[in-house]
Amino acid sequence: MQFHAFDAPYLERLCSGDFPTEEHFVRYFSELIRLKLRSRVRSPQAIEDIRQETFARVFATLRSPERLRQPERLGAFVNSVCNNVLREFYRSSQRDNSIEDDDQTESLPDTTSDVLTILTRKEMGERVWLILEDLSERDRRLLREIFLEERSKDAVCEGFGVDRNYLRVLLHRAKLSFKSLYLKSLGSKVRGAAADQEG
Amino acid sequence: MNHDEATRLMISEKYLLGELTPNQREQFEEHFFGCEDCAMDVRAGHAFIAHTKAALSEPTPATTMPADSRSRPAGWFGWLRPALVVPTFAVLLAIVGYQNLVSVPKLQQAAATAATPRILASVSLLNSNARGETLPTVAVRQGEPFLLFVDVAAESKYQSYVADLVSPAGTSQWSLSIPSENTKDTISIRVPAQTQAGTYTLVVRGQGDSGSSVELGRYRFDLQLHN
Repeated sequence: MQFHAFDAPYLERLCSGDFPTEEHFVRYFSELIRLKLRSRVRSPQAIEDIRQETFARVFATLRSPERLRQPERLGAFVNSVCNNVLREFYRSSQRDNSIEDDDQTESLPDTTSDVLTILTRKEMGERVWLILEDLSERDRRLLREIFLEERSKDAVCEGFGVDRNYLRVLLHRAKLSFKSLYLKSLGSKVRGAAADQEG
Repeated sequence: MNHDEATRLMISEKYLLGELTPNQREQFEEHFFGCEDCAMDVRAGHAFIAHTKAALSEPTPATTMPADSRSRPAGWFGWLRPALVVPTFAVLLAIVGYQNLVSVPKLQQAAATAATPRILASVSLLNSNARGETLPTVAVRQGEPFLLFVDVAAESKYQSYVADLVSPAGTSQWSLSIPSENTKDTISIRVPAQTQAGTYTLVVRGQGDSGSSVELGRYRFDLQLHN
């Protein structure tokens, strides 16, 4: 799904209600919205509500006479609508300060259970194992403590005698090794979705 | 924020590790919602972290073990089979020999060096923020640390300060948090050994109550390396 260009014809199709374009748009930005919200909102139900409200407002604007005319602003527009919905959520929940908590963010694999997703998840899990096995024992332990332990990242890095930049570079390299498979899995998902529609 | 800046400063890694201030985080989100490359980077990184968490919280999967070790239960004393014992002891012997001949003398030397007083090269950045000043230079032996002296223009609205060292290639080398009480005097920073000669920049930022940060100064200096 990453192979679409957000250009003028795309925006035109989106505004005119073209279903495959709408589906791509919602799928692409849903993931970004969830990533954005994961560090700000704890409740999965609230995240889902904010996501849906964001799309409702985005589509309402796109189909109004004052619709967006600059395709390059599409992403920034979705982000700003999401920010507005989020602010309203904060106000209504009256828990502004207690909601934000970066260290408590959840990063769990997708739990969708269709066959294609299960196979892809298994393949990605195996690739992650291969990447982790290529690391030194110290780097593996460092990642374990950063991602699984409830300690501050500074304290963990200090304990391993490394700085935060070392951690960033370690993550950067591992992510690059993982990215090709991840891109492939996105391609498979899109092909699977297209086949479902045709069937 | 633009794509080059985000890539150069490893913003997506900082985002995934929760290292950005709320202001920086919002700026990056505004960027990656419109930049497919950065969005893909964040998505792949997030997926990698999610799978790493799952992988590290479980025992090693069977797929990574040799096939025969899965099909045949070894029993309590299975590891005593000659096929395992001989190479295991050979490896242990090699490790012990290496430690005695190489590692231990090196550690002893390192400990002795650490306990010995020594003179470090240093460079003062007290005037290097001013226009027209010549670039301060420090000449350092390869593999040696050196000292930086810098004054931070403290203001009451900042709770703390952060100093980032940027290499000649434009990559961030490290980030140092500076408590506000340390800014009353000239700050001396011990810089770990650098491998690249050239013009470095120390970027000092003030961090406010809300977590927002403001750049207060850039201090450039030349690092020369010699043997």
